Amino acid sequence: MKKTDYKDMWVYIEHDGQTAADVGLELLCEVRKLCDTTGDRLFAVILGNLPETETGKIINCGADGIIRVKGTGYGYFNTDAWSNAFTVLCRKYNPSAVFVGGTINGRDFAPRFAVQLNTGCTSDAMELGYDPETGDIRFIEPAVGGKIMAVITVPELRPQIATIRPGTFKYAPCGARGEISVIEEEISFDPGAVRCRRLDYFPDESDPELDIANADCIVCVGNGLKDQEHLERYRTLAKLLGGKIGCTRPLYERGILPYKLQIGQSGVMVKTKLYISFGVSGAVNHTAGVDADVFVAVDKNPDAQIFNFCDYGIVGDMDEICDEMIAQLRARKGQ
Amino acid sequence: MLNILVCVKQIPDIDLVRMDPETGNLVREGVPTLTNPLDLNALEAAVRVKERYGGHITLITMGPPMAESTLRECLAVGGDEAVLISGRPFGGADTLSTSYSIVKAAEMLGNFDLIFCGKESMDGATGQMASQLAERFNASQISCCSKIEEISGGKIRALRTLEKGTELVEADLPCLLTVEKDNFFGRLPNLEAYLASKKAEIRVLTENTIDGLEMEKIGVPGSGTIVPEIYAPKLPEPGQIIKTGSVKTDVGRLMSLLVEKGSV
Repeated sequence: MKKTDYKDMWVYIEHDGQTAADVGLELLCEVRKLCDTTGDRLFAVILGNLPETETGKIINCGADGIIRVKGTGYGYFNTDAWSNAFTVLCRKYNPSAVFVGGTINGRDFAPRFAVQLNTGCTSDAMELGYDPETGDIRFIEPAVGGKIMAVITVPELRPQIATIRPGTFKYAPCGARGEISVIEEEISFDPGAVRCRRLDYFPDESDPELDIANADCIVCVGNGLKDQEHLERYRTLAKLLGGKIGCTRPLYERGILPYKLQIGQSGVMVKTKLYISFGVSGAVNHTAGVDADVFVAVDKNPDAQIFNFCDYGIVGDMDEICDEMIAQLRARKGQ
Repeated sequence: MLNILVCVKQIPDIDLVRMDPETGNLVREGVPTLTNPLDLNALEAAVRVKERYGGHITLITMGPPMAESTLRECLAVGGDEAVLISGRPFGGADTLSTSYSIVKAAEMLGNFDLIFCGKESMDGATGQMASQLAERFNASQISCCSKIEEISGGKIRALRTLEKGTELVEADLPCLLTVEKDNFFGRLPNLEAYLASKKAEIRVLTENTIDGLEMEKIGVPGSGTIVPEIYAPKLPEPGQIIKTGSVKTDVGRLMSLLVEKGSV
């Protein structure tokens, strides 16, 4: 089969049996635009049962069709049944591309079925392009710690498989298409053949301090922080602003703050009204995770890349500037 | 006794890699190398399993001859033997072909009950190797393992960290695991093992000595992806830098701007 014989683009809809995860809808919205360029049809792929009300959301993101897979083996996520289903489906329908949300489980099974199909898999693209000459998607992603942007393509094999992190693309439904084709497939996987079985699941206790994705204000501390002892003032500032504290990857690596507070492509993607960074260098992997109405940057290095992303910047000692902000905010509040 | 394989990678110190503005190529000459940090967490998990259940740990990597130093570093922490896959035809490989080469080499070393990998490498950072190795080993997979509870009767019971909770799973051996760094903090080598690692024999496998290796499946020809282009990130125009002469007045000016915007 020639690569031009592979048609349509698919988006995997991850769900918990009740609601579709945001990432699948975000991908539908973005891949819709790509399909408008390439002339491919856009299909949403659903494994297991998902209520009809959710189907409406999917259609509203511009899907031309839905592939529903029923059968045994989909009671809980397991990489065996999931990768098998996609391999069977891809061999039958020959899509040009398959997009999977880069969640922990998405990143678990997508590379596996790429091996089963012997095709290329890319991860963490931040931008999707198309080369009409080759017919290849251009997956554009930061590399080498964000110092460069790399264009990745799958030049010969099909389908082109990609995992993309939640929050990378915007959920901006373009509305329903005229006619929706619904394909029902039965692909049963023997539950006895699942080699990694879920015995139990313990939801995390919710800690509001660790849930920063939609905080009104975020004070983000970067590698410029001298040590743990200097952290407290940033917590104080966050509290005064009615916000929460976050960090960049190096601070998590240094063991100063937990992973759930790491902002950026490989951590949490945040949407906030006010974002203030202290001692953050501004690698694109980090800034890609920040969607702020107002972005303030503080760093001692006047050439730091972070100043390219801010609305307002102050060059200077981060601790000193933080302390002054605290003092002025307290004065303003009459404390 | 458990037969354990740990996959490791030597990477350039990415903080020091830069792009040549003239050629657009990455400059790696003279850049120091290190062992991918998350691989040391995988090694730690393997060493703990060996301490508890007994076992034999084989370390494997693919890379240029200098990648030997990473194997020695890992031997000093805990490993019984080490294998380097090396040869020009392996160069330029993506995860599809690298996973093929590693599994073909590992097949010559025996049957492994457990395979440990880092979650991702700091340089390539695709995070795909573990899944692709598991598929090629025809192994079950526990990614993001935070605790190994029990290994017995050809099964492993362990905890996995998910986005919003923890999952208790039971998997059949052979099983490939990636581990959470916070739960498997790497130990330092002891002096005796360190000295022994310096003299240890590293087995080198090449494209000529790996059994049944299909040349079109390794290196660039075996890769599914290519990188046709790299470029420097396009940066937005810098924001407004507040420079009034003192910290106090700078912050004062910022506060007024934030009040105007309704941010505070």
